[in-house]
Amino acid sequence: MTQISEPQTITANDLLTGEVVYLTKHGVWAHQHSDAVTFDHPDRAALCLEQVSSRDIAVVGPYLARAKIDHHQAVKPVHFRDAIRATGPSNRFIGKQASPA
Amino acid sequence: MSFENPRLPLSAQITALNKRFQNTDTSEMLRHIMADPHFERLALVSSFGADSVVLLDMVAKIDRTLPVLFIDTEMLFHQTLAYQQKLAADLGLQDLRRISPSRETVLERDFENLLHRSDTNACCTLRKTEPLARALAGFKGWISGRKRYQGDARATIQLFEADTEQRIKINPLAHWSRDDLARYIATHNLPRHPLVAKGFKSIGCAPCTTPSGTVSDERAGRWEGQGKTECGIHFDLQSAAPAIVTDAGFADEDWTGGFHGFGALPTLGAENNPALAVDLEGGFIVKNLLPWIAQIDLIRVDFPVFSDGRGFSLARQLRLLGFVGRLRAKGHILADQYAMARRSGFDEVEIDAALARRQPEPIWQARANWQARDYQNRLRQGA
Amino acid sequence: MYNYTTFDKDFVATRAAQFRDQVQRRIEGSLTEDEFKPLRLMNGLYLLLHAYMLRVAIPYGTLNSRQMEALADIADRWDKGYAHFSTRQNIQFHWPKLPDVPDILAALAVDNMHAIQTSGACIRAVTADHFAGAAADELADPRPTAELVRQWSTDHPEFAFLPRKFKVAVTGSTQDRAVTKFHDIGLRLVQNKTGMPGYEVLVGGGFGRTPMIGQVLRGFLHQADLLPYLEAILQVYNQIGRRDNKYKARIKITLHEHGLEDIRQRVEENFALQRARFDGADQIILARIESDFTPPAFKTASTSCFGNHLAQNPAFNAFTKTNLHPHKNPDYAIVTVSLKAHGATPGDASSAQMRALADIAKHWSHDELRVSHEQNIVLPHVHKGDLPKVYKALQATGLATANIGLISDLIACPGMDYCDLATARSTNVAQRIALRFDALKQEHAIGPLKIKISGCINACGHHHAGHIGILGLEKAGAESYQITLGGDGSQTAAIGKPTGKGFSTDEIVPAIERLIKAYLAVRHDASEAFLTTFRRLGPAPFKAALYPLKDTHNEL
Repeated sequence: MTQISEPQTITANDLLTGEVVYLTKHGVWAHQHSDAVTFDHPDRAALCLEQVSSRDIAVVGPYLARAKIDHHQAVKPVHFRDAIRATGPSNRFIGKQASPA
Repeated sequence: MSFENPRLPLSAQITALNKRFQNTDTSEMLRHIMADPHFERLALVSSFGADSVVLLDMVAKIDRTLPVLFIDTEMLFHQTLAYQQKLAADLGLQDLRRISPSRETVLERDFENLLHRSDTNACCTLRKTEPLARALAGFKGWISGRKRYQGDARATIQLFEADTEQRIKINPLAHWSRDDLARYIATHNLPRHPLVAKGFKSIGCAPCTTPSGTVSDERAGRWEGQGKTECGIHFDLQSAAPAIVTDAGFADEDWTGGFHGFGALPTLGAENNPALAVDLEGGFIVKNLLPWIAQIDLIRVDFPVFSDGRGFSLARQLRLLGFVGRLRAKGHILADQYAMARRSGFDEVEIDAALARRQPEPIWQARANWQARDYQNRLRQGA
Repeated sequence: MYNYTTFDKDFVATRAAQFRDQVQRRIEGSLTEDEFKPLRLMNGLYLLLHAYMLRVAIPYGTLNSRQMEALADIADRWDKGYAHFSTRQNIQFHWPKLPDVPDILAALAVDNMHAIQTSGACIRAVTADHFAGAAADELADPRPTAELVRQWSTDHPEFAFLPRKFKVAVTGSTQDRAVTKFHDIGLRLVQNKTGMPGYEVLVGGGFGRTPMIGQVLRGFLHQADLLPYLEAILQVYNQIGRRDNKYKARIKITLHEHGLEDIRQRVEENFALQRARFDGADQIILARIESDFTPPAFKTASTSCFGNHLAQNPAFNAFTKTNLHPHKNPDYAIVTVSLKAHGATPGDASSAQMRALADIAKHWSHDELRVSHEQNIVLPHVHKGDLPKVYKALQATGLATANIGLISDLIACPGMDYCDLATARSTNVAQRIALRFDALKQEHAIGPLKIKISGCINACGHHHAGHIGILGLEKAGAESYQITLGGDGSQTAAIGKPTGKGFSTDEIVPAIERLIKAYLAVRHDASEAFLTTFRRLGPAPFKAALYPLKDTHNEL
């Protein structure tokens, strides 16, 4: 399997609340980006995405998101859209940023 | 108070337990067992399948905090997952534990999710047996919903059985019949698994479960047709007959004359023409049909996908141009679109068996009152 | 205002119950997300970036005070205490939970409201001039027609699964405040030579990836022919509109590809068939609707305290210069309440502000409120003698910003802060522009100017119609803002033209500032508005200001 330098996470929205969720290494969905499991192998990421897409009815619209590991070994989103999803609206502090883990 | 002497060997305890409870009411037995300090570490294992609600309800009425282990093989029907969430909430289960194979193990041993095709037993071991064994470590006993009437392998199960050297397996429903279960569910007004309405009698993993037909061995529907190139459920659904939906509900196809494509319409004489039915696409230019329109008995308009609404306008145009025969919408049409189809001029809808299973008759009949609350009709005929 | 009949009430309540059932089937799993999505969209429910969003219809922007209070209650009970008024005269709740939505719809139904057809590939909630029934320049009230079209289009069996969404707007004034030239169908209330009432029918306008100005399909359509004619247009579109590419699916592209003549011929042919299906019942219903829209009982009272107050209170004076519009009744004024306090998110209102507005409308605007597509709230009938009290009440709730029509009265879609389609944020840019020009104390000197900001090519922020339009895109993983100039959404409609390469999030506000500086330098005098100057001089001086390093002598 090819290894890519950039890890990926699987993220979606919760069916009932609509809230942004991340797949964790335990296979459950968590609210905080820091809990997301990262995939180093694109094939495994794609396979896992296929699995959750076909069977996880508790979430809507799962997709692979680019991630990076920062200096403190923390998982961070790469794209600014994913950064906004991870925190909440930038014009109103009422999203995830208002209820930290 | 302990019913049995823990110092006795397990086999002796089991014999005593079976004897003691052989004529006890099931709820009563559960109440005793769950109150017995010897069974302090007890769990209920449930698949949240076709009849699981009975045992779950009984246990929840005694103690909602009893650990309930739900084996999610990650191959279950999405309906099962939804049903599990609903039941857990409805019954107020307070210690529901979802038991799954670890993601690493799955990636290692069933990378493509296709192990069930090549080695059913290995798949069960990976996704069911091993995770359950891990989860049961530390419990002294576990309650299972197995029943004797379910078929050969279960025909001789006892109320109490040895699971391992230290653990007892309890089958409170061992002697229950299908009617007993149905009665309990009806009496307590319990929600059924959504697939039961679709003909499933025993529900496990999606790839290995089909709706089984016979009552004598319900579990025949599980792992049916192994070794075929297509797994059971798809095979079964594709081969089944379509349903014709009218205001009266579902019916079988009654048109026996076959359908012509527009390009293959026969030349018509002045009279004595045979019964004639035509298949049209949603984007058909209706003017082209004018020479035949008075001779056609049935027009069937195709809906390749429910979001393609061209067929609704085609139906209206056919009616505007004077077509008075049978008009049928065929294809991917949702029950939620039934009123639209009827109001556009269709008489009936033809859906395949898979859709009919997913959207059973009652959902369609909920819109059989399509003439009510119709703004367009009101604007044309006053109120 | 239109009074719901038993029929309307029954319909809306039943529809809410049907949606409750659909939500239940989705949660249980018998409806897949693919199947549920169009059903939820038809009931105004989106799934956006952080949460679900429920878009509630405010038909042609008209509300009474009780309805505004009910919306405030929903914001408190099921959302986060605020709501967003959209560029489609609707209101959006950005944080509802799926299992609560049936309860919200049931609550709406109690006060004759709903979320039907605020989304999806169907005929959307009809919009109209937000000064309808009040403006001094109005020829005929567009609301009865808009209500008739609402009833006809609601749950229309043929048109719930069109190739793409379909928007209808109605105006009855020469001054087009309903942006009719940028709608799939624009209806202008007109009279023919013999004085018969009817419509001019425009077709094929729209923003989006391919902005187009609507063309006249029928110069005059008799009033009684409206519904069969609309039915003919929609039936033609439903059958020949493209379904293979969503960017080519709107009727503007159908019109463009087939040509106006071809479409006109198809529509007229179809109209001849449709006409017979209407026996006049619709006109009886229209007459009944019209009787609901008789003007309120305007009061006769002294307006002298208005004059006195103007002299005493300079802030009030400034407010009246920007936020009032002439009313049919000379003793009355139309008050536009700005939801654009400097630095605020355009279109957002807190539940407390919504209740205050309801209260003000109850006391001083004959119980009526309007939502404008420019994301402001209109008090359509305020007696001039009551204006000082209205102003004081607005001040108390932070709604007295005197900036209507000025640079900070900009409109912006929610952008990437909420929207899953967005390619960049838009409210952030709006907030910074407003704060910057407020700090410069320049906006009154700049005068009338419409800035419109969209966070993606779909153009919910109407940027193509902005005198200055800003389009947020993604470029190399970062936000990039493209500027268009010269757009106009009124009767003199024009599509703004792109100026050149985009600006980063840090560059965009200084770029706008340079643009304004250039305008101030080249305008004839303070009475020449930005758009007039732009039309006189063309883009060159503005491009030169936007891209100062580039040698623009040749273009000049």
